[in-house]
Amino acid sequence: MADLFSNLGLGFSVVFQFVSWSPSWLGGFAIPIPVNILLCLLGALVGTLVGVLPGIGTIATVAMLLPITFGLPPIGALIMLAGIYYGAQYGGSTTSILVNIPGEAGSVVTTLDGFQMAKQGRAGPALAIAAIGSFFAGCVATVLIAVLGAPLTKLALAFGPAEYFSLMVLGLIFAVVLAKGSILKAIAMIVFGLLLSMVGSDIETGASRMAFNIPELADGLGFATVAMGVFGFAEIIRNLDAGAEMDRQLVQEKVTGLMPTKKDMIDSAPAIARGTILGSILGILPGGGAVIASFAAYTLEKKVSKNPSRFGRGAIEGVAAPESANNAAAQTSFIPLLTLGIPPNAVMALMVGAMTIHGIVPGPQVMQKQPELVWGMIASMWVGNLMLIIINLPMVGIWVRLLRVPYRLLFPSIVVFCAIGIYSLNNAPTDVMLAGAFGLVGYWLIKHDFEPAPLLLGMVLGPLMEENLRRALLISRGDWSVFVTRPLSAALMAVAAALLVLAVLPALRKKRDEVFVESEN
Amino acid sequence: MSDTPSHRPVESMLPKWVRGPQDFVGGVALIAIALFALWASSDLQGTRGFSFGAGTAPRMFAFLLLGLGIAVMLVGVLTEGAHLATYAWRGPLFVSLGILSFALTIRPLGLVISAFASFLISALGTPETRWKETIIVGICLTAGCSLLFPYALGLPLQLFPRFLLQ
Repeated sequence: MADLFSNLGLGFSVVFQFVSWSPSWLGGFAIPIPVNILLCLLGALVGTLVGVLPGIGTIATVAMLLPITFGLPPIGALIMLAGIYYGAQYGGSTTSILVNIPGEAGSVVTTLDGFQMAKQGRAGPALAIAAIGSFFAGCVATVLIAVLGAPLTKLALAFGPAEYFSLMVLGLIFAVVLAKGSILKAIAMIVFGLLLSMVGSDIETGASRMAFNIPELADGLGFATVAMGVFGFAEIIRNLDAGAEMDRQLVQEKVTGLMPTKKDMIDSAPAIARGTILGSILGILPGGGAVIASFAAYTLEKKVSKNPSRFGRGAIEGVAAPESANNAAAQTSFIPLLTLGIPPNAVMALMVGAMTIHGIVPGPQVMQKQPELVWGMIASMWVGNLMLIIINLPMVGIWVRLLRVPYRLLFPSIVVFCAIGIYSLNNAPTDVMLAGAFGLVGYWLIKHDFEPAPLLLGMVLGPLMEENLRRALLISRGDWSVFVTRPLSAALMAVAAALLVLAVLPALRKKRDEVFVESEN
Repeated sequence: MSDTPSHRPVESMLPKWVRGPQDFVGGVALIAIALFALWASSDLQGTRGFSFGAGTAPRMFAFLLLGLGIAVMLVGVLTEGAHLATYAWRGPLFVSLGILSFALTIRPLGLVISAFASFLISALGTPETRWKETIIVGICLTAGCSLLFPYALGLPLQLFPRFLLQ
């Protein structure tokens, strides 16, 4: 327990770090500046700014804004990224409630009741309750990360290559089971991602693989490049399909009466609590926990409600529960990343990308060697949540105005901004072309009902999986049974197999489809 | 923008026994990717004893993808499925051209020209573009990016054409 407090204390001391700034024109007078807080604030603002643009989800937002954190020191960069992440998520909820366009799968359910509330002139309370619920969930999840972080790190140190490999298989299976649509196609996307990750130099022999002597490919396909193409450019192109003037049923009334009433609070308090618990648990599981968490929370609220018919007609619980669950899951999904070094979803995969650019390899070692980085980041998550409440809520009016910007002006701006962003990663024009090509690939994938998120996850996990597989087999002298004879690895594999079987079983399949169908109607 | 309804029958190109054209074509494409990867990694060393070579993992994943591609294709043959979606040409074409022009001109011409040109080319992606406002927004965006990236973020981007600087 003392550990917990000292760890959190360390984290907050990093976040609240003051740097003295003494410009010459002040004549030796130093002003203390809370640099990290400001970075977090800036990240949350920019994240919301981009996340609020319709059709741009959390992943695309983080991918787009990745370059602006490169010039910062590692801790500052990660804190800013955490701010961007929460801002983007909050921006997604805003579009769900006000325009009925969910930025990402996780906020699909929010549209069901949120948009109805907005139509009834209660957009203010809906936005406020989303922020309050998210903040509460964020507080709980922060404590949970702090509590679980240290013991899980110890567990992680007991992991050998075989266990790591099995855990990653489990994570990928989770991602498949929780993905929308065909399981077969989701697996195919993961394997496609794994294959893409093989491009470049082999880690052990240094041999150039599938690079066709193109110097830009020698280091492999850039993760941010592919992410920006498949999520950023592909989304833009797809949105254009429907015509630039998308069917945007923007709520025209002025957003007034921001604060929820006392009755609203009483109604939504239990929903927030339930959503938080559900989300925290589902978020720890590898494989897109945040998405399923909001669906599950909504379904649960409907089940426990005395009057389920209110849902879909502007019930405030229908906004409070999924938003809390979404945020709790988003936050606890940092646990597998920080303790095991395994990104559980595409956004976390981007975080890994950002960390590697700063020379940090996430995993149990980071927790021990650079505690101020890990705990600073955890503390900054809480601060990021707080920022959203303090700053973004009063600024709702600005975001709403931003939503009125016509898409015909928005999309070329996004294209240019993304292009500059990718170019600035390595100052390589080839990266920009590759991202454009992957944009077309992503467009094709969407047209053929392939989900791009598993592809991204596979691409990040690919090198890790190969490395651990190789090592495990080298240690066992080529004996493949090592994955089922080591108890921990065997348990993980068994869970993975059971999950896959369950997912293919018709009964459960039907239920799974039901949840997704419900969200679409 | 082509205003074609989304369920225009396109299946005439495919034989009758293909009942789910979307999955069938998807599967065929995956097979093609897998075969290409197999060919591209054929020059790499395979497993030696029990130690993986450089080519082992790529080939392993490629074979997996091949199998999955065949499975997806079979699903397309055996079960009733979605038709091929209609592709729009205008959006993809001009957005790609915009990206391509940026990639080709950023080095020689600098950020200001290439960002503005890329903005205008991308804007062709929809017939709804109104040129007056587009040009104004384009100028503002270019100015904003020219301040944001090289100055506020300190990234080494060249603003103006190289031949003007020399």
